[in-house]
Amino acid sequence: MKATLIAAAALAFGALPWLTDSNYILGIAVSAAIYTVAAAALNLIYGYTGLLSFAQLGFWGIGGYASALTVMTFGGTFWQGLVWAGLINAALALVIGYPTLRTGRHAFVIVTLTFALLVTLIARDWVDLTRGPLGIPGLPAPSLFGFEFRTTSRFYWIAWAYAVLALAFLYALCTSRIGRTLVAIKQNEPLVRAQGISPMPYKLAAFAVSAAITGIAGGIFAFHLKIIDPLFLDFYYMQTFLIMVIIGGAGSFWGVVIAGVALSALPELLRFSSDFRMIIYGFVLLIAMLVMPGGLAGWFGQRRLARMRAALQ
Amino acid sequence: MTALLEIRELRKSFAGVHAVDGVSFDIRQGSITGLIGPNGSGKSTTIDCIAGFQQADGGRVMLAGSDITGRAAHDIARAGLMRTFQTVRVYEGLSLRSNLTIAAQQFDNATWSDELFRTRRYRLAAEAAEARARELIELVGLSRYIEAEAGILSYGQKKLLALAAALMPRPRIVVLDEPVAGVNPTRIREVEDVLRQLNAAGETFLIVEHNVEFITNLCHQVIVLDQGRKLAEGTAVEIHNDPRVLEAYLGMTPEMAEAEMRGAA
Repeated sequence: MKATLIAAAALAFGALPWLTDSNYILGIAVSAAIYTVAAAALNLIYGYTGLLSFAQLGFWGIGGYASALTVMTFGGTFWQGLVWAGLINAALALVIGYPTLRTGRHAFVIVTLTFALLVTLIARDWVDLTRGPLGIPGLPAPSLFGFEFRTTSRFYWIAWAYAVLALAFLYALCTSRIGRTLVAIKQNEPLVRAQGISPMPYKLAAFAVSAAITGIAGGIFAFHLKIIDPLFLDFYYMQTFLIMVIIGGAGSFWGVVIAGVALSALPELLRFSSDFRMIIYGFVLLIAMLVMPGGLAGWFGQRRLARMRAALQ
Repeated sequence: MTALLEIRELRKSFAGVHAVDGVSFDIRQGSITGLIGPNGSGKSTTIDCIAGFQQADGGRVMLAGSDITGRAAHDIARAGLMRTFQTVRVYEGLSLRSNLTIAAQQFDNATWSDELFRTRRYRLAAEAAEARARELIELVGLSRYIEAEAGILSYGQKKLLALAAALMPRPRIVVLDEPVAGVNPTRIREVEDVLRQLNAAGETFLIVEHNVEFITNLCHQVIVLDQGRKLAEGTAVEIHNDPRVLEAYLGMTPEMAEAEMRGAA
């Protein structure tokens, strides 16, 4: 039943280019797919494992630049660019994670934030590589076996396919014992150790997977924008992913996916009032947080728990 | 006969204070050993050093003939020594079922790829863990809460859950840190029964506890620590009549202690 529902929803999103030829709507749909994946990746490391990583912004930017440079500077294809985006980020996550994850959670937050800021600086100041503030315009449309993803409706397939693949992988991961172990590490690390589980490989793997998935998402998004410049590392993106995770409910797979889609669409739905739309958006977020401090999933979870308590009385 | 757990000259100091100062003892396979002593006598530090949660400054710990001194906590757990914690630790946000199955997952042969692709090996391991979890949860009398999150349990119930979790992988030895502190007195009898039952089935226990009656009822061997040193060792009766123990631990004469015990019971 649940599986059918999910498959139906995934196919319905896949059918979007047949339902509309509005580039505006399809553009939002590309953003929604990509942001949702990035939010789900943040959810893996923050929601499940309990490690707040601001490095996601850096991974996103590195993913974007890696794929853009693969095509524009090194003469590779878009697909090779995505592979590099994933590999470089996974490797970086291991390098940053190995020393940092030994320290406390607060140190991890600070180090990942510093990493994100450092990537921003490199994007702006390493002009020889990144072309600095001018950025790299004119990213070509990807092609596969002669099929060019030139229009937005065609490009949407890439975003959609990646979202389905990445979310399916994350779902398999989060619902396996690995996902449950990550939650256990978040809730009580000494107990995890007492049960014969070494937390480090789990935390490192979660961080690396999260980095790779975010990086590939960044790579696809850069080619959607067709330009990459240091604004690609605007804190707006990090904020967007984080809001999706918090509103959806950190540690809830479907909560974050639903919030990802809904919050991508919300600012656009509010366009009827162009002057106030971001203010209204802010208010919606504020009220959502006041009513459901544990996010969407937390809200439902509280109700379930209350029923359970009542049943046991 | 060699002991299951051998502690030799264990030492640990904090900023010049000798928390554990050359403690040695043996634990026989299939026995229940009590470790008692006044606050600050080094009980908790001793078991933390045994279980790898603190690094000993000196001495040796042997488990079933192999040296586990200085190994990481998770490594020692895999070698067959499971522990509980004085301040009860459970996964508050997970169901009782998950609390138990997690505790066993490191002890089956399912790999990461088995887990990710839900192979047959993974399913078999999961089923075995599930069956064991049901059995243990029944044993500690928490069956009706199996689907509930551990956070809704009372303190005493959490202690029982922690005990069940420690038993999940059928360890060689279970180290219980104050298993009945904060547990309702009628429940303490139940815990005694459960431990006795498990012991009869061959399980070995090392128990740190302040509840002298509990220790007296249950333990084959009692070790008394005072100021980081082993003050006495023997059967519960021997310990009970040892004037040094009464003075150090209870700060009273045997007669006073007798009265105290009767009062507690």
